[in-house]
Amino acid sequence: MAAAPTRIDVLQLYRSLMRVARQFCDYNIREYTKRRTIDAFRDNKILTNCSQLSAAFSDGKAQLEVAKRRALVYSLYAPKVKSIMDIKPS
Amino acid sequence: MAEVRGALLKHLRVNTTSLSLLRYPNPTRNGLFTLTVNAIRRSFFDEVMGSFLDKYEVTDRVLCVVKNFQKVDPSKVSPTAHFQKDLGLDSFDTVEAVMALEEEFGFEIPDNEADKISSINYVVEFIASHPQAK
Repeated sequence: MAAAPTRIDVLQLYRSLMRVARQFCDYNIREYTKRRTIDAFRDNKILTNCSQLSAAFSDGKAQLEVAKRRALVYSLYAPKVKSIMDIKPS
Repeated sequence: MAEVRGALLKHLRVNTTSLSLLRYPNPTRNGLFTLTVNAIRRSFFDEVMGSFLDKYEVTDRVLCVVKNFQKVDPSKVSPTAHFQKDLGLDSFDTVEAVMALEEEFGFEIPDNEADKISSINYVVEFIASHPQAK
Protein backbone atom coordinates (compact mmCIF):
# COMPACT_ATOMS: atom_id res chain seq x y z
CA MET A 1 0.00 0.00 0.00
CA ALA A 2 1.40 3.40 -0.95
CA ALA A 3 2.32 5.78 1.88
CA ALA A 4 -0.23 8.45 2.72
CA PRO A 5 0.21 11.66 0.72
CA THR A 6 1.76 14.54 2.63
CA ARG A 7 0.07 17.90 3.06
CA ILE A 8 2.34 19.44 0.45
CA ASP A 9 1.46 16.69 -2.06
CA VAL A 10 -2.24 17.30 -1.58
CA LEU A 11 -1.85 21.05 -2.03
CA GLN A 12 0.25 20.52 -5.14
CA LEU A 13 -2.38 18.23 -6.62
CA TYR A 14 -5.02 20.86 -5.84
CA ARG A 15 -2.94 23.55 -7.51
CA SER A 16 -2.25 21.40 -10.60
CA LEU A 17 -5.94 20.68 -11.03
CA MET A 18 -6.78 24.39 -10.78
CA ARG A 19 -4.07 25.19 -13.32
CA VAL A 20 -5.44 22.63 -15.75
CA ALA A 21 -8.92 24.09 -15.23
CA ARG A 22 -7.57 27.46 -16.38
CA GLN A 23 -6.47 25.97 -19.70
CA PHE A 24 -9.91 24.94 -20.87
CA CYS A 25 -11.40 27.17 -23.57
CA ASP A 26 -15.00 26.34 -22.71
CA TYR A 27 -16.34 28.44 -19.83
CA ASN A 28 -18.68 25.69 -18.60
CA ILE A 29 -16.04 22.99 -18.43
CA ARG A 30 -13.60 25.36 -16.77
CA GLU A 31 -16.05 26.30 -14.05
CA TYR A 32 -17.11 22.70 -13.56
CA THR A 33 -13.50 21.55 -13.12
CA LYS A 34 -12.86 24.25 -10.53
CA ARG A 35 -16.11 23.51 -8.67
CA ARG A 36 -15.52 19.75 -8.69
CA THR A 37 -11.96 19.99 -7.35
CA ILE A 38 -13.03 22.36 -4.58
CA ASP A 39 -15.95 20.11 -3.59
CA ALA A 40 -13.96 16.87 -3.75
CA PHE A 41 -11.00 18.18 -1.72
CA ARG A 42 -13.29 19.65 0.92
CA ASP A 43 -15.27 16.45 1.25
CA ASN A 44 -12.10 14.42 1.69
CA LYS A 45 -10.55 16.94 4.08
CA ILE A 46 -11.88 15.02 7.09
CA LEU A 47 -10.46 11.63 6.05
CA THR A 48 -7.90 10.19 8.45
CA ASN A 49 -7.69 6.56 7.34
CA CYS A 50 -4.38 5.99 5.52
CA SER A 51 -5.75 3.70 2.81
CA GLN A 52 -8.71 6.00 2.11
CA LEU A 53 -6.35 8.95 1.84
CA SER A 54 -4.04 7.25 -0.65
CA ALA A 55 -7.05 5.98 -2.64
CA ALA A 56 -8.48 9.49 -2.85
CA PHE A 57 -5.06 10.89 -3.77
CA SER A 58 -4.47 8.43 -6.61
CA ASP A 59 -8.02 9.04 -7.81
CA GLY A 60 -7.23 12.75 -7.93
CA LYS A 61 -4.03 12.10 -9.86
CA ALA A 62 -5.90 9.98 -12.42
CA GLN A 63 -8.46 12.76 -12.85
CA LEU A 64 -5.62 15.23 -13.36
CA GLU A 65 -4.26 13.12 -16.23
CA VAL A 66 -7.71 12.91 -17.80
CA ALA A 67 -8.18 16.67 -17.48
CA LYS A 68 -4.80 17.39 -19.08
CA ARG A 69 -5.62 15.22 -22.09
CA ARG A 70 -9.08 16.78 -22.46
CA ALA A 71 -7.71 20.30 -22.23
CA LEU A 72 -5.29 19.52 -25.05
CA VAL A 73 -7.95 18.00 -27.29
CA TYR A 74 -10.48 20.76 -26.59
CA SER A 75 -7.92 23.40 -27.40
CA LEU A 76 -7.52 21.85 -30.87
CA TYR A 77 -11.21 22.44 -31.52
CA ALA A 78 -11.70 25.71 -29.68
CA PRO A 79 -14.99 27.43 -30.44
CA LYS A 80 -14.71 30.64 -32.43
CA VAL A 81 -17.43 32.40 -30.47
CA LYS A 82 -16.57 33.12 -26.84
CA SER A 83 -19.11 32.38 -24.16
CA ILE A 84 -20.94 35.50 -22.97
CA MET A 85 -19.69 34.91 -19.44
CA ASP A 86 -16.11 35.41 -20.61
CA ILE A 87 -16.72 38.82 -22.13
CA LYS A 88 -15.91 41.50 -19.59
CA PRO A 89 -18.37 44.38 -19.46
CA SER A 90 -16.67 47.40 -21.01
CA MET B 1 -1.62 53.24 -16.46
CA ALA B 2 1.73 51.54 -16.21
CA GLU B 3 1.82 51.01 -20.00
CA VAL B 4 1.19 54.72 -20.63
CA ARG B 5 3.97 55.63 -18.26
CA GLY B 6 6.32 53.11 -19.86
CA ALA B 7 5.53 54.36 -23.37
CA LEU B 8 6.04 57.97 -22.30
CA LEU B 9 9.37 57.21 -20.65
CA LYS B 10 10.67 55.44 -23.73
CA HIS B 11 10.26 58.70 -25.67
CA LEU B 12 11.86 60.94 -23.08
CA ARG B 13 15.26 62.29 -23.94
CA VAL B 14 17.98 61.42 -21.44
CA ASN B 15 20.89 63.88 -21.35
CA THR B 16 24.42 63.00 -20.23
CA THR B 17 24.20 64.54 -16.75
CA SER B 18 21.33 62.27 -15.74
CA LEU B 19 23.40 59.20 -16.70
CA SER B 20 25.88 60.04 -13.93
CA LEU B 21 22.91 60.33 -11.58
CA LEU B 22 21.94 56.80 -12.53
CA ARG B 23 25.28 55.56 -11.29
CA TYR B 24 25.32 57.60 -8.09
CA PRO B 25 21.74 58.37 -7.12
CA ASN B 26 21.79 60.85 -4.26
CA PRO B 27 19.49 59.53 -1.55
CA THR B 28 19.02 62.91 0.12
CA ARG B 29 17.26 64.54 -2.84
CA ASN B 30 13.51 64.97 -2.59
CA GLY B 31 11.14 62.13 -3.47
CA LEU B 32 9.96 63.41 -6.84
CA PHE B 33 13.50 63.62 -8.16
CA THR B 34 14.44 60.10 -7.09
CA LEU B 35 11.17 58.88 -8.58
CA THR B 36 12.13 60.36 -11.94
CA VAL B 37 15.61 58.88 -11.74
CA ASN B 38 14.18 55.48 -10.86
CA ALA B 39 11.70 55.81 -13.72
CA ILE B 40 14.54 56.58 -16.14
CA ARG B 41 16.56 53.69 -14.76
CA ARG B 42 13.57 51.39 -15.19
CA SER B 43 13.04 52.45 -18.80
CA PHE B 44 16.62 51.35 -19.54
CA PHE B 45 15.99 48.00 -17.91
CA ASP B 46 12.74 47.47 -19.82
CA GLU B 47 14.55 46.23 -22.87
CA VAL B 48 17.07 44.25 -20.87
CA MET B 49 15.20 42.21 -18.27
CA GLY B 50 11.55 43.24 -17.95
CA SER B 51 10.28 45.99 -15.70
CA PHE B 52 9.47 45.76 -12.02
CA LEU B 53 6.11 47.03 -10.86
CA ASP B 54 5.71 49.88 -8.42
CA LYS B 55 5.04 48.61 -4.87
CA TYR B 56 2.02 50.86 -4.21
CA GLU B 57 0.41 49.76 -7.45
CA VAL B 58 1.04 46.12 -6.57
CA THR B 59 -0.44 46.62 -3.09
CA ASP B 60 -3.55 48.25 -4.56
CA ARG B 61 -4.12 45.49 -7.07
CA VAL B 62 -3.46 42.71 -4.56
CA LEU B 63 -5.90 44.24 -2.03
CA CYS B 64 -8.50 44.62 -4.79
CA VAL B 65 -8.20 40.95 -5.78
CA VAL B 66 -8.33 39.73 -2.18
CA LYS B 67 -11.36 41.90 -1.40
CA ASN B 68 -13.23 40.46 -4.39
CA PHE B 69 -12.57 36.94 -3.14
CA GLN B 70 -15.89 35.50 -2.00
CA LYS B 71 -14.77 33.94 1.26
CA VAL B 72 -13.01 37.06 2.51
CA ASP B 73 -14.58 39.80 4.60
CA PRO B 74 -13.49 43.03 2.80
CA SER B 75 -13.29 45.03 6.04
CA LYS B 76 -10.55 42.78 7.43
CA VAL B 77 -8.30 43.12 4.39
CA SER B 78 -5.25 45.25 5.09
CA PRO B 79 -1.68 45.32 3.73
CA THR B 80 -0.46 43.36 6.75
CA ALA B 81 -3.22 40.74 6.82
CA HIS B 82 -2.29 37.08 7.19
CA PHE B 83 -4.40 34.77 5.02
CA GLN B 84 -5.02 32.09 7.61
CA LYS B 85 -4.79 34.01 10.89
CA ASP B 86 -6.51 37.32 10.03
CA LEU B 87 -8.73 36.46 7.08
CA GLY B 88 -9.77 33.01 8.31
CA LEU B 89 -8.92 31.14 5.11
CA ASP B 90 -7.77 27.53 5.10
CA SER B 91 -4.94 26.18 2.97
CA PHE B 92 -7.19 25.43 -0.02
CA ASP B 93 -8.52 28.99 0.01
CA THR B 94 -4.96 30.28 0.18
CA VAL B 95 -4.11 28.29 -2.97
CA GLU B 96 -7.19 29.74 -4.68
CA ALA B 97 -6.21 33.26 -3.67
CA VAL B 98 -2.68 32.76 -5.02
CA MET B 99 -4.14 31.47 -8.32
CA ALA B 100 -6.36 34.56 -8.55
CA LEU B 101 -3.30 36.76 -7.99
CA GLU B 102 -1.39 34.83 -10.68
CA GLU B 103 -4.21 35.60 -13.12
CA GLU B 104 -4.30 39.27 -12.14
CA PHE B 105 -0.58 39.77 -12.69
CA GLY B 106 -0.32 37.43 -15.65
CA PHE B 107 2.64 35.26 -14.59
CA GLU B 108 3.11 31.80 -13.08
CA ILE B 109 4.24 31.40 -9.48
CA PRO B 110 6.16 28.12 -9.02
CA ASP B 111 4.79 25.66 -6.46
CA ASN B 112 7.63 25.96 -3.95
CA GLU B 113 7.27 29.76 -3.85
CA ALA B 114 3.49 29.60 -3.69
CA ASP B 115 3.67 27.32 -0.63
CA LYS B 116 5.56 30.02 1.27
CA ILE B 117 2.96 32.69 0.59
CA SER B 118 0.96 33.19 3.76
CA SER B 119 0.38 36.92 4.11
CA ILE B 120 -0.38 39.91 1.91
CA ASN B 121 2.95 41.49 2.85
CA TYR B 122 4.87 38.54 1.45
CA VAL B 123 2.79 38.54 -1.76
CA VAL B 124 3.45 42.22 -2.41
CA GLU B 125 7.19 41.78 -1.83
CA PHE B 126 7.29 38.74 -4.09
CA ILE B 127 5.36 40.30 -6.96
CA ALA B 128 7.19 43.63 -6.77
CA SER B 129 10.50 41.80 -7.06
CA HIS B 130 9.41 39.54 -9.92
CA PRO B 131 10.38 40.92 -13.35
CA GLN B 132 7.63 39.13 -15.26
CA ALA B 133 4.72 40.64 -13.32
CA LYS B 134 2.53 42.74 -15.63
